Amino acid sequence: MTPGARPYYVPVGTEEQVFKAAFRQGLSVVLKGPTGCGKTRFVEAMAHDLDRPLITVACHDDLTTADLVGRFLLQGGETRWVDGPLTRAVREGAICYLDEVVEARQDTTVVIHPLADHRRQLPIDRLGAVVDATPGFCLVVSYNPGYQSVLKDLKDSTRQRMVAIELNFPPPDVEEKIVSHEAGVDHDTAALLVRLGEAIRRLEAVGLREVASTRLLIAAARLVAEGIPARAAARAAVAGPLTDDPMVTAGLFEMIDAYLPDDG
Amino acid sequence: MAVARRDVDRLRLLASAIAGRTIEVAVAGAGERTWTDGTTVFVDSGAGPADQVRMVTVQAALVGAGSLEPGIVRQLGRGSALARRYLAVEGHRALATNEVLPPVVRSLVDLDVAGSVGRAEDSLGVARTRRANDDPPASFGVIRPRRLLASAERTDGAVGVSDRVRGGPQHETASQSDEDDAGDADWRRAGHLMSSPVGGRGALGRLLKRMLSATRGPGAGGPAGANAPIHVGRARVRRQGTGSPTSGAADAVAQTTELEPRGRTYPEWDVHRRRYRPNWCTVLEHTPRPQDGAPMAVPDAVSLRRPLARLATGLDRTRRRPQGDDIDIDAAVEAQVELLAGSPPGEAVYVESLRRRRDLAVLILLDISGSAGEPGPARRTVHQHQRSTAAALAMALHDLGARVAVYAFNSHGRRAVHVGRIKGFDDRFDARAVHRLGGLVPGAYTRLGAAIRHGASVLEERGGTSRRLLIVLSDGFAYDHGYGGRYGEADARRALTEARRRGLGCLCLSVGAGTAPAALRRVFGTSAHATVPLPSQLPGLVGPLLRAALRSAETERRVFQRNERRKRLELEARMIP
Repeated sequence: MTPGARPYYVPVGTEEQVFKAAFRQGLSVVLKGPTGCGKTRFVEAMAHDLDRPLITVACHDDLTTADLVGRFLLQGGETRWVDGPLTRAVREGAICYLDEVVEARQDTTVVIHPLADHRRQLPIDRLGAVVDATPGFCLVVSYNPGYQSVLKDLKDSTRQRMVAIELNFPPPDVEEKIVSHEAGVDHDTAALLVRLGEAIRRLEAVGLREVASTRLLIAAARLVAEGIPARAAARAAVAGPLTDDPMVTAGLFEMIDAYLPDDG
Repeated sequence: MAVARRDVDRLRLLASAIAGRTIEVAVAGAGERTWTDGTTVFVDSGAGPADQVRMVTVQAALVGAGSLEPGIVRQLGRGSALARRYLAVEGHRALATNEVLPPVVRSLVDLDVAGSVGRAEDSLGVARTRRANDDPPASFGVIRPRRLLASAERTDGAVGVSDRVRGGPQHETASQSDEDDAGDADWRRAGHLMSSPVGGRGALGRLLKRMLSATRGPGAGGPAGANAPIHVGRARVRRQGTGSPTSGAADAVAQTTELEPRGRTYPEWDVHRRRYRPNWCTVLEHTPRPQDGAPMAVPDAVSLRRPLARLATGLDRTRRRPQGDDIDIDAAVEAQVELLAGSPPGEAVYVESLRRRRDLAVLILLDISGSAGEPGPARRTVHQHQRSTAAALAMALHDLGARVAVYAFNSHGRRAVHVGRIKGFDDRFDARAVHRLGGLVPGAYTRLGAAIRHGASVLEERGGTSRRLLIVLSDGFAYDHGYGGRYGEADARRALTEARRRGLGCLCLSVGAGTAPAALRRVFGTSAHATVPLPSQLPGLVGPLLRAALRSAETERRVFQRNERRKRLELEARMIP
């Protein structure tokens, strides 16, 4: 189900080994990390390595249990049950990835409880059936502990059914490699952008709500690859997404000018 | 000319990133070269934009590399010659070791010099042996040892008055320089605490900064608000109830708050001098021990529910509605099935946005000072009346889906304002909380202003909703050491005004206390307040009162946001060169 090349992911620590071990043991995994640090890409790479299909659900606060499990639909005057993504993954033995799981309402997330622990079953009350997980099924959820409000947190009963893997921004040399590979820019441009990103990340301790993620740096590099001058690219792809505050924007522009060459 | 006008504030983020901590950037005095006091970089106004960037980078790198630690700076002495030679060496080391050095500065670094020294001490050693003609590049600026030491002492002083008593060389240097800019010191200290390159420019940071900028002066001693003996009282309260073992969800919350500093300081308004005393009051939060079988009248929460039912609700998407902006697929399928089965189909097949969800956080502040122990009507004390009112309000609001917290406060002087958490926003409202409430024993005094300020900040930090309401249950009798009469009343009134300016609704209720309406007005000012003779009369009054408090908060919030917006636009206009 995952033809072609392996999605580009450079391991930083033992995350690949831990994930594969958890997969073999039938444990569920929670990925923690800031936005844009490579959580989704990591899961894609793992699904490729393990040769399992990947079913991704982006969670939002209006996600119902039926959206995950499935519902009856009408077809030619008859009702027909249609599996939701979670049920499909359970039946096919796929990796089911619930992205930003805290965004979903807590009453929705409890449906994964029997799947996430030793039972590995999905009860579907509308069908009156219990579906046993096919071998190869693996539940992966992700969340970003940083920006959640006090109202949004993962339930303890959910958390304790998971193995946690913490991901963070890669070290500069790895990140340079990633930026240069993803955007197709030369190594020097990537190095400059990564240094700018590192500098912005040092501001995290002093108040910027979100910092420049690897994803933002790649976006800037891709603009550069299209022929946009480096400073303009960083203004559009790094400073703009990070803040709306004119004072902070001015400060970020100043940093961009200090870190990137004036080539246009 | 155009250069001098350039807003150097824009370099703040760059400086903070390089130093790895918050650094302010300001324009140096006329004719001064670029220097730093360890928290602010003062930029030479005569330099060009590119040079200014270099100068700020060098000074910020010095801060980040620990080159300006007091231990080193003290050895530089008064003369500028050694400091200059030290900068000529250490500047290169600081730049070379910086992890995020911008490329534009790289040409400044002399790697030979940087490579010859490993630590700031080494640079100092080299500087001592060198000849005087080794001047640092002009873009390095200067090191001013005296100003650095004075500033280091000021930041130390912010930690606590007791630190000042340590004495030593640091103390001597400070007493001397404090004379020339003591006023500045306090301002910068206060400003430093709440400013970050980003967050400090937020609404609250700006407000506090504005408030505190009126406070110039060392702020120690003085008649009103001065500290009376407090240690005895503090110990007594400790024994009465702190550190109760809790479990479950409450435990998790307790652990997270434990990470924060235990005592939080708040300013106090000195009406006689018409200015704030920064960091004047220390609020200590604790969790009172639940008391089993504590006698407490079961409050009538049900009768309160009706007047509160329509208070502050937010939008929520509701399914199975007869109209709406989206089709509810499950309901539509069912309707079709019913139709095909021959029974009349349900028509409620839409998803509609309704004001159902309670968008309200309420923090109830209960006054448990000694005066509440006085007898009130119906052969019960004021405290008993207030306590059952707090319980009834909390239960009713909790049942209706609002986020509720209950805190109780009393004080023993300005350094021991005790605030007990009966129920935090994330705690469960269980028997334990009720027992904690029932176990409260009134005692000590009322530093109303500090308690209100603390309540307001807890509400802002942990409330988590857009509509927020602070309910103060007090007899309105503000009294503490150095906190009596007009002084205390003015501070309490001020604290309420601050909270309302920030968009919090404030309601002050005096239940069962015989305080005269005029006295209440002096304390609560224009905030919504009311005297309720008996808790049973509350249901008729509470609805309109809460609505009024929320409405005025809404207006204040809009005004506040508009002012903030206008200020931002003005700043923006100024920034366009």
